[in-house]
Amino acid sequence: MTTVTLPVRHAHAKGWWGMVVFVATEATLFGTLVGTYVYLRFQNAHWPPEQLPLPPVLTPTMLTVALVATSVPMHVASRSVSEGRRVRAWWALVVALAVQVVYLVWQVHDYVHAIDVYPPSGSAWASVYVTILGADHAHVLVGVLLTTWFVLRIRTRLTRYRAVGVQATAFYWHAVNTITIAVLAVQLSPHL
Amino acid sequence: MAVVAPSPERTRIENLERLWAARPGLLGWLTTVDHKKIGLLYFWTTLVFFAAGGVEALLMRTQLATANERLVGPETFDQLMTMHGVTMIFFFIIPITTGAFGNYLVPLMIGARDMAFPRLNALSYWLFLGAGMFMYSSFLIHQAPNAGWFDYVPLALRQYNGGLNVDFYALGLIFTTVAATIGALNLIVTIFKLRAPGMSWNRMPLFCFAMLAASLSLVFALPALTADCIFLELQRKLGFHFFDQAHGGDPLLWQHLFWIFGHPEVYIIVLPAFGIATSIIPTFARHKMVAFPLVAMAELLVAFIGFGVWAHHMFATGLTSTTLVFFAAASMMVVIPSTIQIYAWLMTVNIGTPEFRAPLMFIGGFILFFVIGGLSGIMFAAIPFDQATTDTYFVVAHFHFIIFGAAVFPVLGGIYYWFPKVTGRMYDERLAQLSFWLTFAGTTLTFFPMHIVGLLGMTRRIYTYDGGLGWDAYNLIETIGGYVLATGLLLIAFNIVRSYRRNVPAGRDPFRGGTLEWTTTSPPPHYNFAVIPTVTSPYPNWDEPDREEDLRKLARGDLVLDQGHETPESTVNDAWPSAVAEMPPESPWPILAAATVTVAFFLLLTQHYATAGAFFVLTVLAAAGWNAHEPEEATG
Repeated sequence: MTTVTLPVRHAHAKGWWGMVVFVATEATLFGTLVGTYVYLRFQNAHWPPEQLPLPPVLTPTMLTVALVATSVPMHVASRSVSEGRRVRAWWALVVALAVQVVYLVWQVHDYVHAIDVYPPSGSAWASVYVTILGADHAHVLVGVLLTTWFVLRIRTRLTRYRAVGVQATAFYWHAVNTITIAVLAVQLSPHL
Repeated sequence: MAVVAPSPERTRIENLERLWAARPGLLGWLTTVDHKKIGLLYFWTTLVFFAAGGVEALLMRTQLATANERLVGPETFDQLMTMHGVTMIFFFIIPITTGAFGNYLVPLMIGARDMAFPRLNALSYWLFLGAGMFMYSSFLIHQAPNAGWFDYVPLALRQYNGGLNVDFYALGLIFTTVAATIGALNLIVTIFKLRAPGMSWNRMPLFCFAMLAASLSLVFALPALTADCIFLELQRKLGFHFFDQAHGGDPLLWQHLFWIFGHPEVYIIVLPAFGIATSIIPTFARHKMVAFPLVAMAELLVAFIGFGVWAHHMFATGLTSTTLVFFAAASMMVVIPSTIQIYAWLMTVNIGTPEFRAPLMFIGGFILFFVIGGLSGIMFAAIPFDQATTDTYFVVAHFHFIIFGAAVFPVLGGIYYWFPKVTGRMYDERLAQLSFWLTFAGTTLTFFPMHIVGLLGMTRRIYTYDGGLGWDAYNLIETIGGYVLATGLLLIAFNIVRSYRRNVPAGRDPFRGGTLEWTTTSPPPHYNFAVIPTVTSPYPNWDEPDREEDLRKLARGDLVLDQGHETPESTVNDAWPSAVAEMPPESPWPILAAATVTVAFFLLLTQHYATAGAFFVLTVLAAAGWNAHEPEEATG
């Protein structure tokens, strides 16, 4: 490992920037999905179709609040790794992961039920609804895998490489949580 | 850097040689993470696809040479036409510009030792190859995509298109958008983070600005196409409703999403061509680019405006006239940044002392074709004219002048221009100029008469036509032109192969180019630069004191980084060094991950969803294996 002879300025690592660009493209994907929902909404007199029950309010709202709250431990983990505080970062990740896993399991359970209640083969509304929810849950799954990976990786040792990974993962979670709020807004919109 | 080296320099270079040594043989190519080797893999693969797309075009032109020709039937013609478009756009021009030229040249131009994420770079190539094989395997069962390259619904829905044709299209494009997104992400972060010390934005080569603009467009445009294709597959395979009115869908949704991707795509195709032009012109005009910052801004602006003009592809679909007028106005706006660049190119040639060698001749052809294609483009921004000529050969003429004349000509010029750098050998100038005149004449003969037959009423996508409509002579000329063009392209291939075998040494810098790739040896060493150069202007190779300073730095060991497999990271705006990044060694995981994804896509095609899921789990495991290799660092 070379020691740098030039004066060095602190900056975000390339790995963090990679995550920023990845989040940009995923956010655009969700923009497209939500845009499709809104576009089709204006092509239909009844949205959702009249015979369908309105989507649930309470459970998704509470779950989303819980998921968004994990941004706090993720932020703590991100700060801690940059200060070299491995144990603190590890506990923050474990706390976040526990909530994220509960969220995902609960949501997947409800999702399977939702496909029954709102069969996508029945209407365009149900098709978009099921697609948006599925895409959101898939992104939560990716986040759960990333958090799990770093819980395993920094259990014993923290390096600069892993620290950048934790920071990028934290950034990913902030983005996924924001996207989940947007998806919740879509879910609640028929009640307005 | 062939200096008569006293020992410290020699030792440092030997260290670098040892640290960056490549695994030999086939295994070396399969596991490589070197941006130059990946660039070459992209180059040869895209040329194969270019040849395939070219054969498809020639078959169509032969079928259309005379009235009521019977070479191919309508179903085959539809497949040829669709695959020609899909191949040229997704498997030739995007990967040869961003994948081959971008990959090979961007790190060399910004003074880095590799791309920001070398393994991701390999993954993007292997995914691209998998997607291409996936798409082309459709020919084996005679079910190639057949609904046109923009695959409009309802024709693409299962009721009207029951085979696997459209499934190959939709899944293949989802697949290739993943590869292209990864490649674009890598280029963006490379340009942001790995620029040599001193290369602030105002000193970055215009080629890199063009690549940055194209990559940003890819990152923000591809999701619309991905989503559109996912919707289509969900509707075709699982009975979802997005595009059929009976259940609350809307067929125009396909077109909106497709063109939200599709128009930025035009600039994704043509921006790298602008970048190549702004590399070749200053070299052969012996003059810095005129209006450098304006051209840089214009490149980014073209990409940006490209996102606001999509509905000009939909003037004939019955949108409200308010909408149409907005999009017509936005479309005319694109003229401004395009014209800035055309004037800057022409003025640079004008006030420089141009030497018309083959690369510059191709750029000359490019400017002419770009102006012709641009002029017919402005005509389409006039809504009534568009409605009168939509779906005629006039449109075909227009976009071939843009995407063949304007996008491919600089690529051909670029092949000659950088051939000496990549191989260390000189091409045959006389053959190269002959190949220019052949391709130039071929392009004009093939595509110009299409304007006329279009105005005479010949519609696109017909597989044959009756005689006596006044179209026959033009069609015959077009077909002859097609074969002239093919001869010119084959001559370029011949020239490359022959020049490689004749082995006339080109030296480090045969054209006196201005950018950093010309400061290193031809071909560049695995580590690109013995000393990471320090940059004080946009044309660092013309700054002789700086390059002499590099040699002294090698003696001092300053910015050589010969203690590890490393490249410097820098700050985003002013390219001040911020860290030293250890670069990964060769890795088998990218190709293994891409293989699992390829198998999974074939399983999705054949509706084995559970097994496909199992293969995606394998992809995740491959990613874990990939990340298990980490740089060696002290415990923090």
